Amino acid sequence: MPTDDIAFQKDSELRAKIDRSLRHPVMFFFASGATWLALSLLLGFISSAKAHSPTFLDGCGFLSYGRVYAAHLNLLVYGWGCQAAFGLVIWLMARLSRKECSAVGIILTAGHVWNFGVLVGFLGIIAGYGTGKPWMEFPVAVWPMLLLSYLFITVWSFVQFRCSEGGKIYVAQWYLVAALFWFPWIFLTAHLFVFVFNGHPVMAAAVNAWFKYALIFLFFTPVALGTAYYLVPKVTGRPIYSYALALFGFWALAVIGPWAGMQRLAGAPLPQFMPYLGAAATILILIPALAVGVNIIMTIRGHEDAVSASPSLRFALGGIVSFLTLGVLGLVLNTPGTLKLTQFSLTGYGYEILAIYGFFSMCAFGGIYFIVPRITRREWLSRRFISWHFWLTVYGVGTVVVCSIMGGLFQGQAQEAYGSAWMDAATRSYAYNIGTTIAWSFILFGSIFFLLHLLLMWARLGRRSQHPTLLKVDDHHEASPHGPEGDLDELQSAEA
Amino acid sequence: MADSNQPADSKRPDLEESTNVAETHASLIEGGVAQAREKRIKETGMEPVSLWVILASAIVLLVGGSVIGAGGKLLAYSPHPQGYIRADFPTGGNDGPTSGPIYDALFKRGQKLFAKCSGCHGSTGEGNAGFPPLAGSEWVQGNTERFAMIVLNGLKDPITVKGNTYNGSMPSQAPLTATELAALMTFVRNNFGNAMGDIVTPEQAAAALEIQKSRPAGQQITADELNATHDQMLEGDPIDPTTVVDFETLEPVEDPPGVK
Repeated sequence: MPTDDIAFQKDSELRAKIDRSLRHPVMFFFASGATWLALSLLLGFISSAKAHSPTFLDGCGFLSYGRVYAAHLNLLVYGWGCQAAFGLVIWLMARLSRKECSAVGIILTAGHVWNFGVLVGFLGIIAGYGTGKPWMEFPVAVWPMLLLSYLFITVWSFVQFRCSEGGKIYVAQWYLVAALFWFPWIFLTAHLFVFVFNGHPVMAAAVNAWFKYALIFLFFTPVALGTAYYLVPKVTGRPIYSYALALFGFWALAVIGPWAGMQRLAGAPLPQFMPYLGAAATILILIPALAVGVNIIMTIRGHEDAVSASPSLRFALGGIVSFLTLGVLGLVLNTPGTLKLTQFSLTGYGYEILAIYGFFSMCAFGGIYFIVPRITRREWLSRRFISWHFWLTVYGVGTVVVCSIMGGLFQGQAQEAYGSAWMDAATRSYAYNIGTTIAWSFILFGSIFFLLHLLLMWARLGRRSQHPTLLKVDDHHEASPHGPEGDLDELQSAEA
Repeated sequence: MADSNQPADSKRPDLEESTNVAETHASLIEGGVAQAREKRIKETGMEPVSLWVILASAIVLLVGGSVIGAGGKLLAYSPHPQGYIRADFPTGGNDGPTSGPIYDALFKRGQKLFAKCSGCHGSTGEGNAGFPPLAGSEWVQGNTERFAMIVLNGLKDPITVKGNTYNGSMPSQAPLTATELAALMTFVRNNFGNAMGDIVTPEQAAAALEIQKSRPAGQQITADELNATHDQMLEGDPIDPTTVVDFETLEPVEDPPGVK
């Protein structure tokens, strides 16, 4: 037997061992994250419906707009986003460092603490104890608990990275290690300045605005890009198009990312460089977006078949296209002419949803569709579920983003007309609000397919097969794309 | 790297051949089907950064720089250049209503002026030990000239209000403009449970100022003098309290616009 073959088999064995060691924590993060996601989307639907039909579900205090909207965004960020990121980071880092995970018990325990924190925070918001600071609405007691469990979840990935033997550090690892360091920095700094230090309240508002963008650009973005930089070469089997471009994109993000965010407070009594640097940095995010976008798309080029067949690749590419869109929108929305229209309108919401759902979550879905069959040793059950999930997500997010941003700009223009009644501004965005509500219901449906599919996989009810679940029907197997020969039980009984 | 073409365990390369291939194959079918069909991550490509990417980045950099340039003095707190914050209302004023019923206009002005009176008469006009109440007072709700003379001249010697006798000394509240006096009297006559429902017009208040000039300057008035010479309504045509006037000038508005 040629040495290459044996090396390859040993590789496969090591991969299988790593996956096996991580199966419980990774599945736990994905499944609980997807559950929170479904709840968050339901709350997003309710809050969006309340924006155009205030009488919808009125009469009970815990469903009032201020609470539902806050719970929707906080669950999206901490319930789904962070947990999906944890699952991705610990799996990718173990694979890329070629190390089995030896702290499964601690990670699982910390993961339960994280979920308990999110639950307490969610109930706190719904019961009216929210703090009122965007993306920091969980009652104040929750954030130290989250930070502590974060450290116990992710420190092992850093240890694996440090202990990995030889070789150079792969592109995906740059992003993952950076995200591991940036999250505690952002999270601790922002919460200390907002809740602990007795600073000026306007400054606290500015730190709060910075926190949102820092979390997007310095945590969700690197995790999503790390996932994409792993999935695309892995699935296509091609090397990343350009190392230089990858390096450029990474450092551009690292240099530009921390400055964004404070433009939310343009016009507030702050030294002017804060909002203006924030606006400029958000515009400059287009530079790393271009670098990553070109790099990934050039890597995929010529493999359009793989994109239409592989769920992982398709979702990852969708995420990267969203990242490019995010960069272009950042440029358009932060020029002096438009920024004033975004300050008190829906526009910022559309931008955040594009970042968290269109970009990060799409990449995360791609990673989950890749990882789960490996750790459960079962294949995804249904091609249609994945396909529906993809298209409902794409059209849903597209509609939410277009409606929020267009509606927000019209709303902003109406607000500029001081002489006319405030009602005019609400009327102008009315149709767009209805569009957003319909789109959220699309996304919710897609996410329910995803959640059910994932829970079935968690229960180890997936297909036992040699063939992955692909989205494109092979001409030779019109009836069953996987073919009877793919069934493992049959194969084994034939061998015996 | 994870999937380089080196043997998985580079420290023991000579053991490669001894691997039990059948066993490995079996364990792969058991546990690593998906892992076995994975492709390796190849060495990263070495394409140079394309000129188009550099050019596009330069344009983005220019746009970003122009935004910082638009910021003006970056360490200053204000004023923000136009564009990032909303323009002022075109007419320069605030956007509240500029006209409304004359009763509202006078009542609001009187409310502000009353701050000075509330020191002795109380913020709800209930009076105090030694200071007579305004709420329900027959002197307030009675004839307007008598009330105006108290305000303008001050008061000395005993006075009976609501059955109680007070013997204090109230200083003159002059100088007041006609509008201020009208506003103050309208407020007091329609607040603290007093509900005369009428207004003291600026014209009537001007008449009161004329009467005050005929009295010896600086001399407080007494209850006897009030009842003897001033127990009458002030001269001047009454105005319907709902007449719509300009809040600045208190002149009637010919074609009242709706509330903006």
